[in-house]
Parts: sequence; structure tokens; C-alpha cells
Amino acid sequence: MALWSGERVYRHCRVGFLTTAAGLLLAGCGSSFNLQTQAQVPTPVVNRLPLTVGVYYDDKFRHYVYEENTEDRKNWHVDNSRSRIALFQQILPSMFSKIEEVSGTSAAAGVQVDAILSPQVEEMQLALPRETYSELYEAWIRYKIRLYQPDGELIAEWPLTGYGKAEKGFFSNRSKGLNSAIDQALRDIGAKLAIGFSKQEAVRHWLDGRNNAYHADAGS
Amino acid sequence: MRTMQMPGPRPALLPILLLLAALLAGCGSTTVINEYRPQPATAANEIKKNESVVILGRRNRSDHETEGDFINCVGESLSSGSQGVKVIPEKQFVDSMYPYFEASTAPMDVRNLGNLAKNPAIARKFSDLNLRYFVWIDGHTETTDQSGTITCAVGPGGGGCFGFASWDDQANYEATIWDFKKLALSGKISAETDGTSYMPAVIIPIPLLARVQAHACTSMAQRISEFIQ
Repeated sequence: MALWSGERVYRHCRVGFLTTAAGLLLAGCGSSFNLQTQAQVPTPVVNRLPLTVGVYYDDKFRHYVYEENTEDRKNWHVDNSRSRIALFQQILPSMFSKIEEVSGTSAAAGVQVDAILSPQVEEMQLALPRETYSELYEAWIRYKIRLYQPDGELIAEWPLTGYGKAEKGFFSNRSKGLNSAIDQALRDIGAKLAIGFSKQEAVRHWLDGRNNAYHADAGS
Repeated sequence: MRTMQMPGPRPALLPILLLLAALLAGCGSTTVINEYRPQPATAANEIKKNESVVILGRRNRSDHETEGDFINCVGESLSSGSQGVKVIPEKQFVDSMYPYFEASTAPMDVRNLGNLAKNPAIARKFSDLNLRYFVWIDGHTETTDQSGTITCAVGPGGGGCFGFASWDDQANYEATIWDFKKLALSGKISAETDGTSYMPAVIIPIPLLARVQAHACTSMAQRISEFIQ
């Protein structure tokens, strides 16, 4: 059990070591910050809807990178594109009976899907412990989910916000802390997508309409 | 007859040893435990050998994070010894129940847990684990006060530190215990531990730690064990 107060010892020692380490730290002050996140999301335990859904990742979603170049955040470059795509590849097959990646918000000829789902990146925010005077690294990610008919008509759109936080531990650093917070935020988005999809009013109407049509066809 | 004489501490070292002993004596921590039971304990509350417990951290508050180390510590303490119970590790449980036990989606009361258990997939998983008790822990450990300074220097002939620092830590945790079999609140236990740590530095800093979080953990685990056995 690693429950000795390492973090607190560190906090007291660092005051003393600050003077001697200042030269070394100054050398790192002007450097940029590059982070490529690796998120791991478990397979969700949700009831699969009997739908074939096309998924369209537009260019912005595929390549969005969080960038900032301010006095406090010199040349920040946080790339979570791989984690982002991996999240949807992990979640969607548990939600629908079949997933097919498509190249637009309407189905090309010969592609048989019931609907097309397209996630979009809206915003990402990151916070460091020294900025919030807390012991936490934090990440907020906002996506917009759009669901289209195969002919491109919009069925529904709704926002998905994910929040993640990670403790500032003795052995953690900025990269590890932010990576962990982003991982948690993506996990949160995945959870809300998996649980919330059928609860969206417009989606529910669409699903009800499909069920009614199915039962009408079966009865005739 | 020859006698062996053990060398005693040199007179110059004696004050330092006495100071260290005094400091170590002061490194202890005190824990106050409070508990609440809505119903008196009966034999029906006792966990059976084949039943299991899961200890989960509440992480829905933005001002602090219930430390994963603390949750693991309570779990390990609860499962160790001859009276140990079967504890499902938090990460294993949360991952296997994804997305229903995330910070933003976890049930906040027993009624919601009951609703969740109506989901056949979740009910099957609960049944596979033979879950009896859910223990939710909320809280954290923080430094409430600190004083003193330690200065370190490095030169061509070597380096070292000199000074003295001390700090007070406070651990505040509350455990809420749900009986899944009865779908009812079994009770609540709160643990508040205070302690002061010292760090004298003469060339090398020597941390004399009050293991506040560890004491809160063992006290909490002991009380949970009494609660469910």
C-alpha cells in the first residue's frame, strides 16, 4: 500500500531544491508541449439496437488537434485523434447490430444502412493544477452528434460533453496528468453516447416510427 | 567472568536521538469514527462466504478526487486476514459494468441501483459476481497547515540540506454501504484522521511521517468489516 505522504514530502523538499534546480528548469521554459493521447475504453454493456448504422468521420473530426500558443501555454499541441476514432470504434458496435464506415452524410449507391451517425468536435478545454489552484488535471471535451437518414436528411443532433480529471500525484507529470484526464473525458463521452442515444427525443420518435412501420409491414 | 559492555550513545548524539524520539512520538495520528445504522444489526446482515463486496470511489465532485490508492487500501485491508471477505477490485468492476458506474452515470442511491439491476445484462453480471454489498467512499486527504523551511545547496565539494519543516494532514472520508440483497441502505461510516508530520534536515532530510491516509484506511476497513460480518 503506497499510502505514505510522498506528495507532501515532495512539496516541502521542492522549496529547498528550487534554487539549485532553477538553471535546469529555465532551460525547459521555452520548450513546446506535444501530447499524443492513448485512451482505453471498455466494451459497453448495452442492449444492441437492430440497426445497420453508417458512421462518417469528417476531416475535422479525424484531424482535430488542440493547439494553443499563449504566454502560459507555449506551443501546445495535444493530439487525441487516434483515441477519438478508437472510442467510436469501440462503442458503436456494442450499440448497433452492424456498423459500416461511410464517406458522407448520405449513403452512396449500393450502401444499405438505416441511418448515418456523424460525430463532430466542438470544443476542448484543458486545465492544469497551478491554473485552478487544485490538485487536479482536468479536461472538457464537447462533441456534437448528428444522425441522418440514408438520403442525408437530418434526424437528430445533440451535444455530448465529457469531463475527466486526474490527481496530481507524486510520480505524475503534465503529460501523464492530461493524458489521464482526456482518457476519462473520452470515457465519459462514450458512456453518455451509449446510454443516451435512445433517450434523445428525436431519436426516440425516429425509432418509434421505424417500429410502427415494421409492425405495419409484418401485419399486412 | 567476562562481561560484554554494549556501547551507549555518545553524549553529543544523545540530544539528537531524544529530539528524534520526541518527534516520532508526535508523528502519530488520531482518528474519529462515526457510524449510522438505520436498522439494528442482525444475523441477516452478515455476508456469506461466497458473497462479495465492491468498494467504489465517488468521483462526481469537481473540488476533489477520492484517491484510487485509498479505495485499493480499504479493499486490500478488508480482504486480508482470517476474517477477510471477497472484494472485487474497483477498476475491474467499473470496466466490466461500463458505462453504468462512471462518475457521471453511477447510481446515486439504492433505488437507482435497483432500477439498474432490472437491466438483464447488468443483473447477470451482478449475479456472476455474487455481489452483496456496495460500499461507496467519498472524501480525500489534504494538507491543512504547514510551517518551516528546508534549504538545499550543491557545491563542488558536495551538497546537503538544512532546516526543519512540519505539516498537518487531515483525512476525511465517508463510506455509504448498500445491501444489494435487500436493496436498502445498510449504514454510513465516517472517518476523520488528523496528524502532523515532521522533516528535520541536517545534510539529508529525514521525513517523519504521520501516515494519516493509511490510518484512515485501516480504521475505515475495520469498521466496514464489523458492519457487514
